[in-house]
Amino acid sequence: MSSQKRIAKEFAELSASPPDGISVELADEANIYEWKVCIDGPEGSPYQNGKFLVKLNMPTEYPFKPPTISFKTKIYHPNVTNDDKGSMCLGMLRADEWKPSSKITAVLQFARQLLEEPMPDDAVEGRIAEQYNNDRKRYEEVAREWTRRFAMADHFHNTARVKEVQFN
Amino acid sequence: MSNSANANALSTEEMERFQKLSNEFEPDVKGPAVSVKQSSHNIALEYANADPTLAAKTSALALTHPTTRVMRGDGNCGWRAVIFGYFEILFNLRDPHRVQAESQRIKNLNGLLDRVGHQQDIYEIFVDETMDIFTQTLTAIQNGVHDESFLVEALCNENQSNAVITHFRLLTSAWMRLNPQDYQAFLSLPVDQYCSTRIETVRTEIDEVGLQALVVGIIKDAGFGVEILYLDRSEGDAVTPHPLTTATPAGATIRLLYRPGHYDLLYRPEVEVNINPMVNYQYGMTTNYAPWDQGAAHNFEISPQMMAIPNLMADPAFAMGPDPMSPMSSVSPAPASPYQPSPTHEMYPTPIQSHAPVPAVPSIPAPSPPAVQSSAPKPMMSLPSRTSDGPQIRMNPFAMKASLNRALPVTTPFKNSPYNQAHFQNQDFEPIHWEPSDSRR
Repeated sequence: MSSQKRIAKEFAELSASPPDGISVELADEANIYEWKVCIDGPEGSPYQNGKFLVKLNMPTEYPFKPPTISFKTKIYHPNVTNDDKGSMCLGMLRADEWKPSSKITAVLQFARQLLEEPMPDDAVEGRIAEQYNNDRKRYEEVAREWTRRFAMADHFHNTARVKEVQFN
Repeated sequence: MSNSANANALSTEEMERFQKLSNEFEPDVKGPAVSVKQSSHNIALEYANADPTLAAKTSALALTHPTTRVMRGDGNCGWRAVIFGYFEILFNLRDPHRVQAESQRIKNLNGLLDRVGHQQDIYEIFVDETMDIFTQTLTAIQNGVHDESFLVEALCNENQSNAVITHFRLLTSAWMRLNPQDYQAFLSLPVDQYCSTRIETVRTEIDEVGLQALVVGIIKDAGFGVEILYLDRSEGDAVTPHPLTTATPAGATIRLLYRPGHYDLLYRPEVEVNINPMVNYQYGMTTNYAPWDQGAAHNFEISPQMMAIPNLMADPAFAMGPDPMSPMSSVSPAPASPYQPSPTHEMYPTPIQSHAPVPAVPSIPAPSPPAVQSSAPKPMMSLPSRTSDGPQIRMNPFAMKASLNRALPVTTPFKNSPYNQAHFQNQDFEPIHWEPSDSRR
């Protein structure tokens, strides 16, 4: 299948030379359609020093349908659903804006960029977006606090939650 | 104050919900990506109750372009119509060298992709699928296959169809980016942005500017013509043709029927007849035809009343031989009719058009004065002369005189045939009426 060939190629490329703050591995060596991605919170953002585990799922129709991104690490962000899916779906990730010529590396860089600059106009969490617009300071406090609680080195809590989510 | 705040909060939530619904919305599109060839009369039926202009135009269309191929309206119909039309013409020309030359030409267009910075390992999987269709086309020609169903299958195969459409989208986008001066004036946003949001995306419908670029940049150099026939409510009694190429050679022109937001393919009669010489198979006849028998014409009484039956000639099931591989495909309006296998199928009024004065048909709007002078409705004037076309002679009733005389009287069945829409047993039965503005059902 052409999708497999292309995904394998992209995976090899990304593993060999990952973009800044991003690393990828397969969730299961036998399944090239599901990746485990680690995104470092960008410096200067409230997510700084956090490590966010993101699951990247490639549809079998890839590259004609976009990959889906879900944050397995809890994150306080207007564009990530605050539920156990943690999904992010906007811009190039939307089915009707997706281009088959886009590469996964661009998708991941887009996701990381979004941590740095949320897009409150396309928010999935309206209240966080509102706070982001009207009370930036408070938003940053909460985001930093969540990052400390869920995305930092005292992993036990964090990874335990991730496992639990993964096996749901 | 608090009230309005509540209302706002509520509406924000509602908005979010609607946004989510909108994001997840997938239109419920039905039907194959590319249909088999079918009668354009179906289009006329769709509009029978619609605006009289549309009804008139579609009735006329069924005469000038008796067959059509419906594209699924999934955002790719325009792209798919042009690409399918392109390969179908290439197949129908039956010239292996031309297929090879075209295959090479399209492959060379990779240069455009390189020039705008696409990586080969990204686009090659799309190009490969296009090349596969060239190979299939070549093989089919070399094996003497006359049935284009392999092309229908290829473009109905989701993966292949997506890949080929993406390939042509990328080529078009590259062409536009490299020739922005030709397109910028027609766009409300910069060419680059237009390409990346309208052309390269997976299911954004093609618009006129994109179509122009696809034709000029990619299709035209094949030597094929492309023509759009606009079906809208503008004045006139026929669809408005708009050629996108300077030449629209017969047998090598992609004809698109455009209705706002949707493209289908249309075919003129000579294309089907000329390229499909296997028509006679369905009649189980030999190729040893008796020459045109003038004597038979005297037996064949041409009745003006009969000619006045609306839709008789408009039903291309009479005018076109069905596809040999799916013998009933072009008579789909009445698929359940128990009469289909009957030999009345051989009854066939076409030759009348060429040598009988035809009174105006009530369901077709009054022809313009010059057409009246020549005593035939306008649409028919554009039909090619039947008497000069070799293969078409096979399908006239005179050539089948012997068997017909045994089985049936020659003239009366037209009026009494259930194939006639004016016949009460016809599935699409419609009584004859005289007031075009009346509701038809």
